[in-house]
Amino acid sequence: MIDRNKLAGMGAGLLAATVMFGAGTAGAQPAAGEYVFGFVTETTGPLAAAGVSYHRGAQVAVEEINASKWIGSGVTVKLSEKESGSDAARAVQAMTQFVADRNVLAVTCCILSPVAGAMRPVAANAKIPLVFYGATLPGLPQPPYVSSVVALPGPQEVKMTQLIVDKMKPKSVAYFVNADNEGFQNRFKAAQKVMEGAGVKTAGVVSILSADTDFTAPATQAMGMNPDLIMVWTTQTPAAGIIAALRNRGYAGAITASDVIAPNAVFKKIGEPLAGVPFPIAFAAGVSSSPEAKAFADAFQKKFGELPDTYAAQGYTSVWYMSQGLKSLSGKANREALATALAKVGSIEHNVYGGLPMVAGQADVQKALVVNWSKDGKVVAWEPK
Amino acid sequence: MILFLEQALNGWALGSLYALFGIGFGLVFSTLGILNAAHGTYASWAAIVGYYVVERAGLPFPVAVGVGVAAGGLLALAVDQIAFQPLRSRKAGMLGALITSIAFWIILDSLAGFATEQQSLAFPAASFPSGMIDIGPMKVGQLQLIIIAVLIVCTIGIHLLIQKTRLGTAMRAVGWNEVAAALGGVNARMVILLTAFLAGATSGLAGVLAGAATSNVSFTLGEGLMLKGFAAVVVGGYDDVRGTAIAGILLGIIEVFVAQYVSTALRDGFTYSLLLIFLVARPRGLFGSAGFVRA
Amino acid sequence: METLLDLWAAYGSTIAFAMVNALFALSTYAVLSTGVLSFTTVVFAAVGGFLAAQSVAHLGIGLWPAFALAGIGGAVAGSVVAAAFLKLDSHWMALASLALVLITRVTVLNTPLLTGGVNGLVVPMSVPMGDLVILLALVAAVFWRLHRSWYGLAARAVREDAAVASTMGIPPRGIQFTAFVISGAVGGIGGAALAFTLQFISPETYFIGMAFTMIASTVLGGSFHWFGPIVGAAVFTALPVTMQSVLPAIEDVAKGVVLLVIMIFLPRGLVDPRAVGLRRAARRRVSAEEGTDV
Repeated sequence: MIDRNKLAGMGAGLLAATVMFGAGTAGAQPAAGEYVFGFVTETTGPLAAAGVSYHRGAQVAVEEINASKWIGSGVTVKLSEKESGSDAARAVQAMTQFVADRNVLAVTCCILSPVAGAMRPVAANAKIPLVFYGATLPGLPQPPYVSSVVALPGPQEVKMTQLIVDKMKPKSVAYFVNADNEGFQNRFKAAQKVMEGAGVKTAGVVSILSADTDFTAPATQAMGMNPDLIMVWTTQTPAAGIIAALRNRGYAGAITASDVIAPNAVFKKIGEPLAGVPFPIAFAAGVSSSPEAKAFADAFQKKFGELPDTYAAQGYTSVWYMSQGLKSLSGKANREALATALAKVGSIEHNVYGGLPMVAGQADVQKALVVNWSKDGKVVAWEPK
Repeated sequence: MILFLEQALNGWALGSLYALFGIGFGLVFSTLGILNAAHGTYASWAAIVGYYVVERAGLPFPVAVGVGVAAGGLLALAVDQIAFQPLRSRKAGMLGALITSIAFWIILDSLAGFATEQQSLAFPAASFPSGMIDIGPMKVGQLQLIIIAVLIVCTIGIHLLIQKTRLGTAMRAVGWNEVAAALGGVNARMVILLTAFLAGATSGLAGVLAGAATSNVSFTLGEGLMLKGFAAVVVGGYDDVRGTAIAGILLGIIEVFVAQYVSTALRDGFTYSLLLIFLVARPRGLFGSAGFVRA
Repeated sequence: METLLDLWAAYGSTIAFAMVNALFALSTYAVLSTGVLSFTTVVFAAVGGFLAAQSVAHLGIGLWPAFALAGIGGAVAGSVVAAAFLKLDSHWMALASLALVLITRVTVLNTPLLTGGVNGLVVPMSVPMGDLVILLALVAAVFWRLHRSWYGLAARAVREDAAVASTMGIPPRGIQFTAFVISGAVGGIGGAALAFTLQFISPETYFIGMAFTMIASTVLGGSFHWFGPIVGAAVFTALPVTMQSVLPAIEDVAKGVVLLVIMIFLPRGLVDPRAVGLRRAARRRVSAEEGTDV
């Protein structure tokens, strides 16, 4: 009797798996053993702060996958790390070493788009699956070998900007934007289009550079434009510095930003001036409510003593995506089979975003949250005043 | 007009940081003949030490500045004794010291990353004079005024030290020719130690102040100061602190105005083109003395 | 056999980078051997790299013509730099060349039509290892020939003492100008080789990090013989890879310490013709003394 129940349960599971993966893969699993994913870390160098988060997220994913025997009985995954320090030449050398290591089945890497650009031909030539966990330049994926689990910016920004127009009804907006980062230029343009479409005037655009650290003058410049709202579309260090400088110079009006201010370290550094600044984000521990998101946040908190940020979620997603491809293989897994399997993945099954479709090797987050920091340092859903 | 004046003052304060850092860098270059790639890390470390003095030990900001400055000076001393002294005693010249300074740059930068856990930190706003002062219709940051004043005091002080005191004479003598200075009764080793300390302390001061003013205490701090401080030294002439100070201030003001009225993308291009023009047209800087020839 | 192949595959790119860095180090050595410390190899490399990348992409030329073009471009840049900078004294020269490196990056960033700007440029061609070996061998042969020529002798004289050299009828400026042209050509070729090795170049590719890498490689290997820079580049490129496998947690610190220790104990670098000469002389003396004893 008990056995029959079990069987019935398994049958249901199989049925579900069949629906999810399509026919033919159900029941199959890769040969038992330990499979290695290469992880090019960036835990030193200019982007080390984010790099640490990506790596930690990936570690949590590995633990969850192995503990739950998700891929199959006797099948475990393991990360093999090599550091690049966000340097293209070092990243390429790490990649070729992974390529040479026959145990490494796939590689995941890259926060910077130029580094990702340098890695792409190496992976395609060596026929090894490469998954980007951080770079956001459009057009990076190159199926079947190269794919990206990072949603391109755009829709989230549009959604938040629309919300701001509806709720805050500003008459004029001043924008901060990186002069040397095309990703943020695009985000800024998307937001500006929404604003101008709704009849909101552009009071002015203040551009800054990624390597800048002093924002007193740009803040003075923006305040001189007397806008109702200031939107900050820049990379992390400038965004934090700009908001601090604006508040420090006595700007009391509304500010919005992007997900770069989401990590805990940014709040720890800037503190109260960040409170109440809305920003769009795909994942925020404590706001994202899916069971996967909660489980991830708990496991991460337990392991590292703090809540995961959006970068950690991306590192986590990358490992789950590679594992999903691996799970769909049968028998002895190899790189080419895995690449083919990854290219067939229509959506990443286990994710913290409440759905994560993959289109031509590119992830696409559809549900964006609009959140802000509270005064006591928690990310909460944004409530327009 | 108010915007113009406020921006001029912002530029002046920013440039003062470049100049203050540049003075230390130039001092090592002119007196010790070393192109020190590790100099930026003194500023980073001074800021990091200062930060921990405030954050962990809970001491007031002036103490943090003092400790940071001392840390910058001591670090410079240590680097000098470990990396430069062995080469000095073998007469290996500027080249060997450049490479050992690169080695220390790699080491200290990497350790600074560990010290801040690879994060960019910031002094809590309440811990230092971060408020604004109204001067007529203008708003000026307290810290900006402090930075401007510090540069003026340091420039005058170091200029007088070099030009009017026995120590300064000895420093210039060592910079001119170490052997001849020693023959003339100058204790060259003492002068070298003092110069290294002074240079590290000055750049450390720039580091702590910049760390507070820009909400950025990390290993990237020194690198930023180094690139601009270097420009100030070249434009101003490395053998005169007054030149470095004025050049630094000018660079800061130009930078702010180019960003405000022309284009941010071209800002650094403007700075470095100016640098190039000076190099080719007036290679001894603003105050450089044409008769001063170094072997 | 399989493990051997694996080793080759794993460290093949490290060897390729070591050879590219050897070209840069030789370019730096070219001027250093006439007594000029200059970081302008980065500038020449950028000229050569972007020139090669664009001409391969748009003119459809092959690998070797691209190298030739990069060499010519670099040589032209070298002569321009020499004409503008050689009047400066040695300290200013070093500073000026560093400034030029900073200017190069700003220029690359602000001319997106030529360089791809901040997004960089994909290079649609790669250099096979064999070609890279031939390229380095050719360049090394030129340096070997120069070392034994009148020019090589004159260069060493200028480095030792420019004033004395000019009394002997050697024009120091002329020698140094030639050195810059050679440095430019080799640097340009190196820049192209890097572009074809990375297959992607951006403003960050040719910047301060490269300037310090090439000068460190040159001096580490020894700047008194053309073979020194090649050894230095190999050591300096292999160092991070080695440290990563030995001390992954503090690989950068370890790399710095190794560089520091080598420079303190061997300030003239790993390859030092004078040390070889001294050892030979000592051996001769010892054997001569032994001879008298018996």
